[in-house]
Amino acid sequence: MKPVVKKLLGSPLVGALASPLSVDDYLALIDRRLSLREPRGRVSAVARQTPDSVTLTIEPNDNWTGHRPGQHLLLGVDLDGVRHSRCFSIVSAPGDPLIEVTVKRNGDGRVSNFLVDHAERGQLIYLSPAEGDFCPGPSVPERALLISAGSGITPVMGVLRDWLARDRVQDVVFVHYARSRTDMIYAAELAALDARHPGLRVETVYTAGGGGRIDAAALDGRVPDLAERETWLCGPAGFMDAAEPLIRARSNRPLHREQFAATRREAAHGEGAVQFVKSDIAASGENGSLLEVAEGAGLKPAYGCRMGICHACKCRVSEGTVRDLRTNRVRDVRDTDLQLCIHAAAGDVAVEL
Amino acid sequence: MGKPTHLSEADIAEFGRELDAVRDEVMNDLGERDARYIHNILATQRYSEVVGRAMLMAGFLPPAWLGGVGLLSLSKILENMEIGHNVMHGQWDWMNDPALDSGTYEWDNTCPSDQWKHSHNYVHHTFTNIVDLDRDLGYSVLRMSEDQAWEPRFLVQPGIALTLAAFFQWGVALHDLEWERIGKDKSWSEVGVQARGIWGKVRNQLFKDYVAFPLLAGPMAPFVISGNFAANFNRNIWSFMIIFCGHFTDEVEMFDVEETRDEARGQWYLRQLLGSSNLDGSVPFHILSGHLSYQIEHHLFPDMPSHRYREIAPRVQAICERYGLNYNTGPLSKQFGGVVKRILRMSLPHRRKGNTLADESSVDAPVYAEAA
Repeated sequence: MKPVVKKLLGSPLVGALASPLSVDDYLALIDRRLSLREPRGRVSAVARQTPDSVTLTIEPNDNWTGHRPGQHLLLGVDLDGVRHSRCFSIVSAPGDPLIEVTVKRNGDGRVSNFLVDHAERGQLIYLSPAEGDFCPGPSVPERALLISAGSGITPVMGVLRDWLARDRVQDVVFVHYARSRTDMIYAAELAALDARHPGLRVETVYTAGGGGRIDAAALDGRVPDLAERETWLCGPAGFMDAAEPLIRARSNRPLHREQFAATRREAAHGEGAVQFVKSDIAASGENGSLLEVAEGAGLKPAYGCRMGICHACKCRVSEGTVRDLRTNRVRDVRDTDLQLCIHAAAGDVAVEL
Repeated sequence: MGKPTHLSEADIAEFGRELDAVRDEVMNDLGERDARYIHNILATQRYSEVVGRAMLMAGFLPPAWLGGVGLLSLSKILENMEIGHNVMHGQWDWMNDPALDSGTYEWDNTCPSDQWKHSHNYVHHTFTNIVDLDRDLGYSVLRMSEDQAWEPRFLVQPGIALTLAAFFQWGVALHDLEWERIGKDKSWSEVGVQARGIWGKVRNQLFKDYVAFPLLAGPMAPFVISGNFAANFNRNIWSFMIIFCGHFTDEVEMFDVEETRDEARGQWYLRQLLGSSNLDGSVPFHILSGHLSYQIEHHLFPDMPSHRYREIAPRVQAICERYGLNYNTGPLSKQFGGVVKRILRMSLPHRRKGNTLADESSVDAPVYAEAA
């Protein structure tokens, strides 16, 4: 949309003409990607690097304000009539006008599996602004270690691409753990970069091929000068839990971590009774997060990522004791807006739903 | 008046379970097909509005004016009946689409959505056809049941009904002020807050139809103003007719507070069934009525996506037949005829059929739990 058109459509007069609907509701008649405020995009290219993944290039509308390297965003798609949003790391460098993400098949992850199986050119995707602080500063460290496992390669790739785009790769070691060569996303690109850039050394470990999991000996062998390196780490929870103490024991330079979905410490269990004030329904708080308790009670609260990122499920809790499922911290709240998906009851809770 | 006596409590409970099963089956089946339906309706409503308003800009040509009024009326009727009313019931919340969220949707009507959700979703759908509790029973200006005490003012109610039909959205806008409670158990400050909400909405609605679009039309402004007025008028008459046919037809039952105390699920279903009446018609007719032509199904399952009422109606009717319950349906002419008859009959002092109702003083005052 041209800025002057957007300014006109965003004016109070045009808003009044559309009222009580929004200008977006009418723009959707032309193209559902059009919006005055919401970032939305269309898939402009689909590539399948491995059998179990898909790499999407998304052309965002002009409400996309860009990102910093290593950040993530929510991708929303309508599946069987229902809007689902999940979080993915951005691989493209910040200067790139297109957004690149790579999605791996993921157990019962509906959005991931749908995109892997059915993503196609032209598909509409709802976007969120970029979030996250897995970002290198403007200055690139002289020596860095990028270390990832599985789909954890995506944000780390984003960081590396940013450095390469700015021609600042002096001494970077990239250690990546993948199950096998056929399973590894960005394998070809990494190999090519490794050959082209003298400042970059790529070490790939195939765990299914006898390469072994991360341990002290392997880390010392591959990165003997870890003490002098600033580290970016991303991977599945088990990998992160194993890698983090090893790295911290060897280097007191900054360690940046990006943790994916499994931010919950354990299966969500609550205790006490949950009262949904507006609908006058009482439920046991035992089964899952407050969001799951509400859904179990037949309510349909708004939700998005279901992992504490998007704030779509934010709801006023009039009073009660809640546990943050990411940190296990228990606290008393009163008239507080909470993300229902990452809080469970830790006593009686009154939710304004 | 009231509930049938030929069913035992166990029968009524079983009746409720059968209806629950119908509901569960549909609600578990919602998906792509339903999403496509509502998206088609949304597109139809918006296209007809855009084209209709554009035609009114050429309103000096009589066919353009008539076509514009027709399309804008269609748009306003679809928006109020099939979209707004149903979205605010939460029928489309399962889609998780912020544009169809019952919590935030605002409809093209002078009544603010939050007040509508209180007066309609809560008061009317909870206390359906309970005299003194359901404020939609005559909208506190008409006498629609023998059990409402007659007052001389009801002599002119045929005229009042006609006025209400023509300006229905304004009646709806003022409805939740609950003027009969003001100064009693409702404070003036509470009324003030509501009145400000109504004024905010009214101002936007009037500005759009009678200032902004006429300004845009320049010399065509008179045609745009008259066309917008005509479309609002048509929508008012249509929604009045459909809504009055929902609960005030000939055979519809009214209830008293006593017999509805501590209702179980099955009994609640029973009251919704007996207090509602359907309209027969074609698919386009049902869509234009917002599927309120399936008032019975709507009152049984207010949050079920409306186009599903059409599909489950034969099953609901079959269940009613098995339990020997009246499934009140008929063409618009017959049902609206019943409404007109009722409005006329109730305007005159009329004795109750059998004096079963307890002395008024023993009937508890309406209890308005706060649902907002």
